[in-house]
Amino acid sequence: MDPITFSIIRHRLFRVVEEAVITLKHVSGSAITNEGHDLMVSLYRADGSLLMGGVGFLHHLTSAAEACKAVIRRFSGRIEEGDVYLLNDPYTAALHTSDIYLIAPIHHEGRLVAWSACFVHVYDIGAMNPGGFSPESPDIYTEGFSSPGIRLVERGVLRQDVFDTLLNMVRSPEMVALDLRSMIACNNVAKDRMLALIHKYGVATVDEACAELIGQSERLLRKRLGELPDGTWRSRQFMDVKGEVHRVELAMTKAGDSLVFDFTGSSPQSRHAINCTQWASLGGLFAPLFPLLCYDITWNEGVIKPITMIAPEGTVVNCRRPAPVSVATVGAIQSVNNAACATIGKMLSASELYADEATAVWHANHFAIFMFGRNQRGGQSIGILTETFAGAGGARSFADGIDVGGEIPNPISRMANVETMEAAFPIRYLFRRRMIDSGGPGRHRGGAGCELAITPHDAPDGGLHYVVSGKGAEFPMSDGLNGGYPGAPNSYIWVHQDEAGGDNRDARFAKALDELPGRKEPVTWGVFPLMGKDALYVRWNGGGGYGDPLEREPARVAADVHANLVSAEAAQAVYGVVLQADGRVDEGATAERRKTLRRGRLLTEAAE
Amino acid sequence: MGERARYIVASDVGGTCTDTVVFAAGEPIHLGKALSTPPHFADGVLDSLDVAARAMGLACTALLVETALFVHGSTVVDNAILTRSGARTGLLTTEGFEDTLLITRGAYGRWSGLSEDRIKHPVKTDRATPLVDPAAIKGVAERVDYKGAVLRELEETSAEEAIRFLIEERGVEALAVSLLWSFYNPVHERKLRALIERVAPGVYVTLSSEVAPVPGEYERSSTTVINAYAGAISRDYLQSLESKLGAAGYRGPVMVMQGYGGLLPAREAANLAVGMIESGPAAGVIGARYLGRLMRDADIIACDMGGTTFKVGVIQGGAFGYAREPLVDRYHYAAPKIEVVSIGAGGGSIVALDPETKVPRVGPQSAGASPGPVCYGRGGTEPTLTDVMTLIGYMDADHFLDGSIKLDLSAARRVFDEKIARPLGRSVEAAAFGIYRIAAAQITDLIHEITVERGLDPRDFVLHSFGGTCALLSATFGRELNVRKVIVPYTASVHCAFGLVSADIVHEYTHAAVLPVPSPPEAVNDLFAPMVERALGTLHREGFAGDRLSLDWSIDLRYSRQVHEVTTTVRAETPLDASGLVRLVDDFEALYERKYGAGSAYREAGIEMTLFRLTARGLMARPTIEPASLNSPDSSGARIGRRAVYSEAKDAMAPADIYDFTRLVPGNLVAGPAVIHTPITTIVVPDAQTARMDALRNIVIELG
Amino acid sequence: MSRRLSEGLVQEDGRVRCRACGHDLAQAGTPWKAAARLVERPMKGAGGKAYSAGAAVRLRQFCCPNCGALLDTETALAGDPFLDDVVGA
Ligand SMILES: [Zn+2]
Repeated sequence: MDPITFSIIRHRLFRVVEEAVITLKHVSGSAITNEGHDLMVSLYRADGSLLMGGVGFLHHLTSAAEACKAVIRRFSGRIEEGDVYLLNDPYTAALHTSDIYLIAPIHHEGRLVAWSACFVHVYDIGAMNPGGFSPESPDIYTEGFSSPGIRLVERGVLRQDVFDTLLNMVRSPEMVALDLRSMIACNNVAKDRMLALIHKYGVATVDEACAELIGQSERLLRKRLGELPDGTWRSRQFMDVKGEVHRVELAMTKAGDSLVFDFTGSSPQSRHAINCTQWASLGGLFAPLFPLLCYDITWNEGVIKPITMIAPEGTVVNCRRPAPVSVATVGAIQSVNNAACATIGKMLSASELYADEATAVWHANHFAIFMFGRNQRGGQSIGILTETFAGAGGARSFADGIDVGGEIPNPISRMANVETMEAAFPIRYLFRRRMIDSGGPGRHRGGAGCELAITPHDAPDGGLHYVVSGKGAEFPMSDGLNGGYPGAPNSYIWVHQDEAGGDNRDARFAKALDELPGRKEPVTWGVFPLMGKDALYVRWNGGGGYGDPLEREPARVAADVHANLVSAEAAQAVYGVVLQADGRVDEGATAERRKTLRRGRLLTEAAE
Repeated sequence: MGERARYIVASDVGGTCTDTVVFAAGEPIHLGKALSTPPHFADGVLDSLDVAARAMGLACTALLVETALFVHGSTVVDNAILTRSGARTGLLTTEGFEDTLLITRGAYGRWSGLSEDRIKHPVKTDRATPLVDPAAIKGVAERVDYKGAVLRELEETSAEEAIRFLIEERGVEALAVSLLWSFYNPVHERKLRALIERVAPGVYVTLSSEVAPVPGEYERSSTTVINAYAGAISRDYLQSLESKLGAAGYRGPVMVMQGYGGLLPAREAANLAVGMIESGPAAGVIGARYLGRLMRDADIIACDMGGTTFKVGVIQGGAFGYAREPLVDRYHYAAPKIEVVSIGAGGGSIVALDPETKVPRVGPQSAGASPGPVCYGRGGTEPTLTDVMTLIGYMDADHFLDGSIKLDLSAARRVFDEKIARPLGRSVEAAAFGIYRIAAAQITDLIHEITVERGLDPRDFVLHSFGGTCALLSATFGRELNVRKVIVPYTASVHCAFGLVSADIVHEYTHAAVLPVPSPPEAVNDLFAPMVERALGTLHREGFAGDRLSLDWSIDLRYSRQVHEVTTTVRAETPLDASGLVRLVDDFEALYERKYGAGSAYREAGIEMTLFRLTARGLMARPTIEPASLNSPDSSGARIGRRAVYSEAKDAMAPADIYDFTRLVPGNLVAGPAVIHTPITTIVVPDAQTARMDALRNIVIELG
Repeated sequence: MSRRLSEGLVQEDGRVRCRACGHDLAQAGTPWKAAARLVERPMKGAGGKAYSAGAAVRLRQFCCPNCGALLDTETALAGDPFLDDVVGA
């Protein structure tokens, strides 16, 4: 293949995806798509294999490939130019019902040459609980409509009966209609640009470039794997839901130029909606793999080939129908993300060549709180607390994790301003700040998470309700690396201020959880009120630490204490750093303290 | 200024050079170029004035005495931020939200301003170090709510302690004040300023409610901090410039370019450092618009490509858009700024083969000005786009920049052959032309994406080609974009300065408030009335009245459940009546569909007005450019030779005519393949295309 | 010849060793944690106040028995097997 033409076509394919993403955001106009970047657009070859993955929620890249293949199987011989298919059944290919795939074949002179696929998290899917995450659903049947593949647009004409049927099953059908329209428009742009490319260079040349692009990615990843040491690295993730503990167990084995992810030993599937299907697990392990191992390699089918997954059926990572899965993207899938990030981090760290690419786990636990109720203008509001996208960076071999720095599987997320949230919902924030001691201790500290508290304000109904599907308050999930501690866990607390008695005038502007009077009830799973004087306190996880905290430069610990990121107590107990009254490091006492802590480790019995 | 005052002088301070241009009716344009002199940029301005004056056979003082107007653009603020040389700055904000600036809305501050390649590599990303020391951020007890109601009065005693702490313990020289919802109710920010002025009279203060009265506390705080950080520098700079010009004999007003494309009197600009950010590129867009008016083109893609950067601005229907999320360095700010998108692609962009795949790549690394391209012979060892242009005959080794630099063709050939051509298994010329195609394709992709972002079709546009490198490529990527024509303006060499003199005085006022549609027109008029009053007062003081001023109303609207806001110009009589408001909403709906696509509007949710903007203009006199009469098409008088250049049709080097721009006369036609050398750039006319010089001495290549 | 196994471990002379002190932990290509000191403590409060974990959750720290260098951590419940990482010999 002519390298010049190849270079031009590769660049253009990437831009095709970019322009389609712009279209998706433009037409949808929803906050979750535009602020959270909870979307994905990719191009696929005629057989459904991934050709060019865009930057979005990365666990969708492989699932949408499977969705293409499922559509090819189901509609074989009847796939026409101008068709668009909808698929959102998790047992076929999707992650959960509310992440709808719209898949469109691209024909050139009557021949199928490629596919484009995209998803957004739709406004509602008609599950028991509003917003898509449905913690109260006992099974897939109560998680809203789900289709293993249906033709939504036929030869360029919208099937209005199908469209209306779908919209008949959801809350706020107008918003869902907008989401669907945005995805149709997105696929149209991808198709037009792809055809322009084919028109300019010819179908054979483009096809050759696509094949070469995939071959190149495979060669590059295999070469990289070959440079990494062979071995097996393990990780374990816990998810607690209403007192029940579920595990995701991973043994990742690298041999030669291939990589096996084995989830044997993971918990049996749960009656709670944290489960995920096998396609979701596959997507879950690729989401961190793309940016961690393929940061300079095009994300396509070639990257998928050297990777094998073993996920026993009937477990949380490969559940059987009709297990509920609506919380999968922030449940088992995210745990798979985390476990894969942890084992990849260990593998990179075992290599002199790649050690500086290793990272502890970032933002391991989305809290996905959806608020709903009547707003201060009398209308209805449903929406996510976008702080869930704010995240926290894992520590790296060369630097601390980035405070509130996002996450690996969705590289370009962000959260909304307080003013945006207060304008959209009848709530008032009491505070929103980085959480002290939340970043996992280590030679390099994990990035801090945050804490916030909200209370009703000017709510015509006295407040609103929220859906929370917050596993992980019991277990920290952002694992540390090479001796770094995990980041602190999430926490969700319903403060019953009305039970405190008195007018509590001072508490109206409380600066911290301690200053809020009334019973503090941890909540993690279900639908809860935020009414009257209630407050909701949310704390989100820090990133994992890297290396031994006793080796952290004392001056950095002092700076963290000064910046309210580490408490003086933790500085002494965990980092072995003693500060003087003026906040500076007491060198002598610190050396002594570190010696004592190290000696304390030696006094412990041998492990076995 | 006396009766003899007849010159308009424009002086543009760039990162490397300071350009001065002198315009006078009926006279040729005079140019003065001097090196910029950071951090004392005013010296460079005077140097370049001196050069221009000498070119006119005048002393600098003589020139300035005869100057009626001095317009100015400067990178002084950009430079203060890029070099982190601003004031030690503190921030006062609402208690409980002290981290807002540091958190940068989560990952937003981590990935903003990064290229796609770097975004895909998150482990190696980080935030920019904040311009405020985190230890110099203090919360104050106060709270205002979403409708501007005071929920908690400002605690002045503790606020005063916080101020004293920042000044005495942290040694801050400037204070940014940014409180929640202050753009609806600035009462607490103003109280804090009064406190600061009492406690520490010398400290530079910026209030968020004044510098960025818009919703969104993170962007507002960031803007406030930038302004406080660079405020003293811009103020001192403009004061010193004014006094130096005054000492040199100038008696007229000094006008300063703003990022939104308007001029402000220096005294006002001095207090709005953030306004000067990226004012150079803004001037470029303004200049393109003015040239477009002269040529009756209202839809323009303005491209500027120099040594390191490719910049694009889009003008549609004679109007330009504002950047939605502007960045300076990697800091967000919320101030009106003409949208100009830039990528790292220029003559200095390094050409390399991927070490694994041998696939060629252009940029994003750049050899910059030093060591520069291999052919400059200043120690550059990596082949660049400029080297490629030389190898395929587009650039003339002997006549580069008017012959001021002699290019080392054999060094370029040796390096390119070794690093690119041989590994590709091609001849030097074939490989070089391949690289040329890649560069043109990447630019095509960029411009296409930018127009898609705005819902535009490049086929409706003309393309302006500015800068030292752009015209080498613009006919090629212009053809691929299917633009109607490519124009290399006569004023290309003094483009930014040309923009300066074609700008008006512009004051931007905004008021944020949420009004539903429909609302009574009085509700809208009541919001505009105080802005109108302020604007008229200011313009009158500046000497504008009658038909020399204009007030334009515009309003940001959105569909209630969607996030996209569209700035919609009020085209009806103001103050508004009911029918004017209806027309506004109709315009909004049409604009929305055009920008975001058919079916993108969710009308059932209702429409809201969110931001009320008043643009107040004092209209300036423009230098006139007289069209020349057209001569014959025969351009042989300007033909200075023939040399081999790469021909795409023949896929080989083939002889082409070479022309001297300065000898072309209006009406001349140049048939491709040909190369036209100008004193500052080179214009490539590809096979089968024809260029002509129009009556304004622009080179026009028709494509459509 | 010493070869990196992780931040704190190297392989030398066919053995897994502590990078800091050279202490011999295991044969190359086999699990090493059994030979390490295990410091186990409740996760609750382990890194400070924000560690509001469940009572049964443990933070395991695997340390060099000779010099006390912290080599790895695990989040675990009682009875969980070690996460035995093995780098090929
Ligand atoms: Zn040791």
